[in-house]
Amino acid sequence: MNHVISRRRMLGALGSALGWIASQPVAHAAKAAVQNLLASSHAPKGYDPTKHKWLMCIDVDRCIGCGLCVDACKAENHVPEASSFFRTWIERYIIKTPEPGGNEVRGEVLVDSPNGGRNGFPPSTVPREEILKSFFVPKLCNLCEHSPCAQACPVGATFDSPDGAVLVDSNYCIGCGFCIQACPYGCRFLNPETKTAEKCSLCYHRITRGLRPACVEVCPTQARIFGDLKNPVENDPVQEFVRKNKVFTLKPHLGTEPRVLYANIDKEVR
Amino acid sequence: MSSLKMPPQVSRLVLLTLGIVGSYLVARKLLVPKTFGEYGWYRGAALEENAAHKLVFAGMKSCDECHSDVLQKLGKYEHKTISCESCHGPSRAHADDPDVKTPKGMFADSDCLRCHQSSPSRPLWIKQVDPLDHYRGDKCTGCHVPHQPKETP
Repeated sequence: MNHVISRRRMLGALGSALGWIASQPVAHAAKAAVQNLLASSHAPKGYDPTKHKWLMCIDVDRCIGCGLCVDACKAENHVPEASSFFRTWIERYIIKTPEPGGNEVRGEVLVDSPNGGRNGFPPSTVPREEILKSFFVPKLCNLCEHSPCAQACPVGATFDSPDGAVLVDSNYCIGCGFCIQACPYGCRFLNPETKTAEKCSLCYHRITRGLRPACVEVCPTQARIFGDLKNPVENDPVQEFVRKNKVFTLKPHLGTEPRVLYANIDKEVR
Repeated sequence: MSSLKMPPQVSRLVLLTLGIVGSYLVARKLLVPKTFGEYGWYRGAALEENAAHKLVFAGMKSCDECHSDVLQKLGKYEHKTISCESCHGPSRAHADDPDVKTPKGMFADSDCLRCHQSSPSRPLWIKQVDPLDHYRGDKCTGCHVPHQPKETP
């Protein structure tokens, strides 16, 4: 019945409204402070990750095992110097001739990667006449469509970005190592300095600036072909690669659907 | 009407639940980073942070800005697929300031042999030499010009 608001109610309402308005900037500042504490962002603009889908093709017949890619990767990405940390590396496969009289087509398979192939490969201890065939296989993050590493990360610090690169958020990584165990291709390691997981980022700072990844840049024989599925160029090297070669991926039975394609590899390569 | 009145223990339970849910929502609002969920279950800003790293290799386009004559000549010979920085080393610093020298000025034989040392693992299409069998009187560059490998100096 009585619509007149009492003085007490009016003052109370005014006071609480003023209090609410005053608390807003404080709340915002508190939120910003907490977020800054957890992560800092400083970024170049102008690159839309939803408009690209990167992939890498490896032509093993072109690889001469010079190791320039490994060396360039270490320099570009400040990978720890020790010989157990690589974002990309080269493996030398040696398939020995089978024992005479046996029923095998191929003999023993030996794989080595001294210092990741960074300084090239010293002559093998296997004598030439015992080698049936031998070749080099460059390895890197397989850019899985369904990444086991991203699924294993408990804090969302590693993820499949929309442009196909699988990245690590080093500000959020807690260094638990689950992703390192989850990667079936052994492409990850724990950085001993930062204590966070690290891997090939496809040189994300380069590709977002329109440059090629460092390994592709320095490869003298074009064994590595880098391309964008969403923006094919004229005479697209990726399409050319798929047309000319028998194309495989590593460990296809795992269902990871890698976007690193290998041409003409033997079944021994995993 | 009195039968509809909430028993005190239930109202306390409701208040407690509201308090817990409310404080969870407040904490979530404060703790979840701004860009989380922009593209997926991760911080969208992490993409920009990854992209913000500094360059070490300049890329051939940068070299072409000043050294297009060298590149044009290189393009006619076997070494045309090789990028400048494959041999001359990472050169972003040199591209930013030409007074800074590229890491490698002089070439050692080991730089050539990195690719041309004979090995049973190498594909046959690449020219390979056994340095012990090859002419050993001089450095590689004494007979071969790196930019024009079929020419003599």
